[in-house]
Amino acid sequence: MTEKRQRIDVRQSVTRSNDAEAAALRQAFAAKGIWVVNLVSSPGAGKTSLIEKTLERLGPEVRAVVVEGDPYTSLDADRITALGATGIQINTRAGCHLDAVMIRRALADVDLCDTALIVIENVGNLLCPAAWDLGQSHTVVLASPTEGGDKPLKYPEAFIRSDVLVINKTDLLPHLPPSSAGLAKNARAVNAALRIFETSCITGGGLDLWMDWVRARMADARKAAGRA
Amino acid sequence: MHEEPYAQAMLDLALSESSGRTITRIFLGVGRFSAIVPDSLSVFFTHLSRGTPAENAELVFETIPVVITCRACGENRTLDIPDKIPVRPALARHLAAGCDCGSNDLTVTGGLGLDLLTVEVEGTE
Repeated sequence: MTEKRQRIDVRQSVTRSNDAEAAALRQAFAAKGIWVVNLVSSPGAGKTSLIEKTLERLGPEVRAVVVEGDPYTSLDADRITALGATGIQINTRAGCHLDAVMIRRALADVDLCDTALIVIENVGNLLCPAAWDLGQSHTVVLASPTEGGDKPLKYPEAFIRSDVLVINKTDLLPHLPPSSAGLAKNARAVNAALRIFETSCITGGGLDLWMDWVRARMADARKAAGRA
Repeated sequence: MHEEPYAQAMLDLALSESSGRTITRIFLGVGRFSAIVPDSLSVFFTHLSRGTPAENAELVFETIPVVITCRACGENRTLDIPDKIPVRPALARHLAAGCDCGSNDLTVTGGLGLDLLTVEVEGTE
């Protein structure tokens, strides 16, 4: 009897099982007419603030669920719950991103019947969150000019894998060096298809255009599921 | 630290493909444009694989080049970015240069992730 080694050809992404989980979630969300957005950014770009402003403008009649990824605290979910929406905290501990299984588990006990919108606030990190599919309809990357305009060149992953870039904190531009204005140009250099919104959650500037886009995507999701 | 979930996902996939047989080597394709560090992946793999049929498996890495695709004309281009050159600015230059068809709508379609290429297992004949 001779020992013989065999090779099994796999040639697949190691995220295969996550991708399958995410595809199942995406199908379930689509069937219910729920628009799902995965929000990624570095820490402190204003993800929670943008979610707050978005929920405020949608008003209490729109049922929204916000899944908050955070290493240890529930500070973000508390801010969402304070607005009357459903805030669910996922503490990733040492983990630097959310995955589809975490989303499935987090939503397992939530009645999504009348839900129009799920916002997933990913862990603040530009490197890997965008690589893990969560079943979202769209990925939105947030960046602020204070982080420096070169971020799309330093961390292109998040910008390449996103559909939309929101440049937040535009109210600070007058106080910053001219180089910080290069964010949109550098983002377009790595992903020409990026749709870009410029907002300030402090002054409210640019939020109308962002909200038009959000409402249009929610309407698309409802229509596709045959909901009015 | 973000190699930990990649190591776990890779181990899970290798185990599911090898049906309980002892795994001797795992061949991995690391995207040239992924943020995955092979040494770090190996550290997590050693820890996570303990007590599994992959416990003593050797990890063999190869680099998967970046592929960019033009969304206008569909052309795929494989980029040969040498290891010595930092990939991110080099890629940004390629993307900014645009496609030969004149479009600037390029997207990265290869070399972003971590692929499990082949699992080598012990077998008896």
